[in-house]
Amino acid sequence: MKKISLIHLKAGHKGKVIDITGGSNLAARLMSMGLYKGKELIKLSHIGLRGPVVIKSGRTILALGHGPAAKIILEVTC
Amino acid sequence: MLKRIYLAGNPNVGKSLVFSRLTGVQVISSNYPGTTVELVKGWLSLGDEKIEVVDLPGAYSLEPTSKAEEVAVSLLSQYPKDEIVVINVLDSTNLERNLLLTLQLIEKGFPTVVCLNMCDDALHRGVHIDIAGLEKILQCPVVPTCAVTGKGIKALVEKIKISAPAVRAKFSHEELWIEIGHIIENVQRLEHRHHRFRERLEDASVQPLTGFFIAAGVIYAAFKFVRFIGEGIINKITDPVFFDLYRPLLEKFTLHWQEKGFWFHLLIGDLIGGKIDFKQSLGVLTTAPYIEFGMVLPYVVSFYFILSLLEDIGYLPRLAILLDNFLHRLGLHGYAIIPVLLGFGCNVPGILSTRVLESKRERFIASTIISIGVPCLPLQAMIIGLLGSFGGLYVGGVYLVLFSIILILGLILNRLLPGYSPEFLIEIPPYRFPPLGMLARKLFMRIRAFLFEAVPVVLAGVCFINILLYFRLFDFVTGVFAPVVKGIFGLPKEAVVALVIGFFRKDVAVGMLAPLGLSIKQMFIAATLLAISFPCVATFIVLWKELGFKDLVKSVFIMVSVSVIVGGLLNLFMLR
Repeated sequence: MKKISLIHLKAGHKGKVIDITGGSNLAARLMSMGLYKGKELIKLSHIGLRGPVVIKSGRTILALGHGPAAKIILEVTC
Repeated sequence: MLKRIYLAGNPNVGKSLVFSRLTGVQVISSNYPGTTVELVKGWLSLGDEKIEVVDLPGAYSLEPTSKAEEVAVSLLSQYPKDEIVVINVLDSTNLERNLLLTLQLIEKGFPTVVCLNMCDDALHRGVHIDIAGLEKILQCPVVPTCAVTGKGIKALVEKIKISAPAVRAKFSHEELWIEIGHIIENVQRLEHRHHRFRERLEDASVQPLTGFFIAAGVIYAAFKFVRFIGEGIINKITDPVFFDLYRPLLEKFTLHWQEKGFWFHLLIGDLIGGKIDFKQSLGVLTTAPYIEFGMVLPYVVSFYFILSLLEDIGYLPRLAILLDNFLHRLGLHGYAIIPVLLGFGCNVPGILSTRVLESKRERFIASTIISIGVPCLPLQAMIIGLLGSFGGLYVGGVYLVLFSIILILGLILNRLLPGYSPEFLIEIPPYRFPPLGMLARKLFMRIRAFLFEAVPVVLAGVCFINILLYFRLFDFVTGVFAPVVKGIFGLPKEAVVALVIGFFRKDVAVGMLAPLGLSIKQMFIAATLLAISFPCVATFIVLWKELGFKDLVKSVFIMVSVSVIVGGLLNLFMLR
């Protein structure tokens, strides 16, 4: 079972959130938007090397800056 | 006793549209989170009573994690719960995410009516929701609506009367999400749909490669269309009206006045070659209406048409993603592109919408950049109108200079200002294709706002200028500033008047440059200076309100320094 951050997940691949590190505010915000431990997501794209990441979880599409994306730890599911 | 109705819901679920439908108050709504930055209130007639309706800022949760949410929560707890009803507006296409707030509202004991908005879009996307089932689980009225067409609003009003608080146990966030999962399983049925064109387009516009192609195409097309429509209106409608209809009429009535004294000077202005010249005469009845209706209004129509279209489709947040990298270097994040784009119409709403940025530092950088480097539409229209006759290269030159200023200023501010800028975390809305009626209404609102704000100021301004010029009251000011303007910028002393007028109306100020007989280089420098120097008085007041006095002084200091440096450099290094 591979654990990687959202940044290192390849675009088009799926993962399951296992941890949100760093500030609790980020975790709380993501929680209220419906992204929390155990939730599945698919990474849609990643703009540039240090750019934002776009993901889809359920029917919600989210764009996260590079910083917050680095704090989301996933287990790769496919 | 019901006294207040609050509209609460996640960002970008159409609260403002529901609000408009309930109260008849027209507000701007768009397809991206954070359109409503000011608190809006209206009134709904319920029986014989008038009840206040408040459109709350978008919130994902009642445990605030952002400023907008804090505002929403503090407003909700302002009055006793038996005096209010909360209309919880939901996006039916994304029921799951929306239900967290719903459950929290019910849990906290607010009498709640659930408004399942965008129900027709949901159906279109193959989302079926069991209304009765949801009502039973939530124990509060659920009404499907479509605020765009007005469907379901009447039923919603009926339900307000019968709403009462439901009883629910309190849960933690995790437990709530688990419960929401169960609710969704029970009431929502998804029809499997193949990826359609719309989804493919949504995806392609955030991919690195295709995304930038699409962005370049959209921006290019937007520019082309704004010019095409604007010039079309000028050539086909306003110019014929002014030159073939209005001028002969005006000349017939006024040219035979024997003595051309004060009133002639005030109303008509100077005759150029014995005729009225709309660009140079500078009269209240000649140049003033021509500037506003003949040069600026056509571009106001075309610009806001294209901007409204992009807003309603939902393209702007995607542009924000693509520009995030670049804007990071300037101490901003991608979402700052929205205030900047609005600033190209008028700096006032642009600076107001910097409220979508979280930190004070970002708001300072964005507001300063907008008031220096982003020319408002009336100013642009005049620059295109006057400089354009010397060739498109000069118009392009002004934009190039402004863009370089934004770039350099942003880099410097990002280095010098303490603190850091937070990164963005934004929900990306699906593409929606707005009905033409909606688009027309929004365009009409914006044009009306422009006419009400600009026209009186322009007429009064030109009147005022003419009086001052007639009695030679400007001589003192021009005398004082002439050495600076001449020495550093290479402009004649008459240009001082135009630069001062720029504080009141940028378009009139550029118009005042026309009769001075400036060389193209002088014209270029003066127009650029008008763009970067002081913002107009309306922008100034908004800056003061948004930034506070201390930051306003800082911002003004930056403006003046940049103007002097850039004007001086242009004068030194520009050949012709």
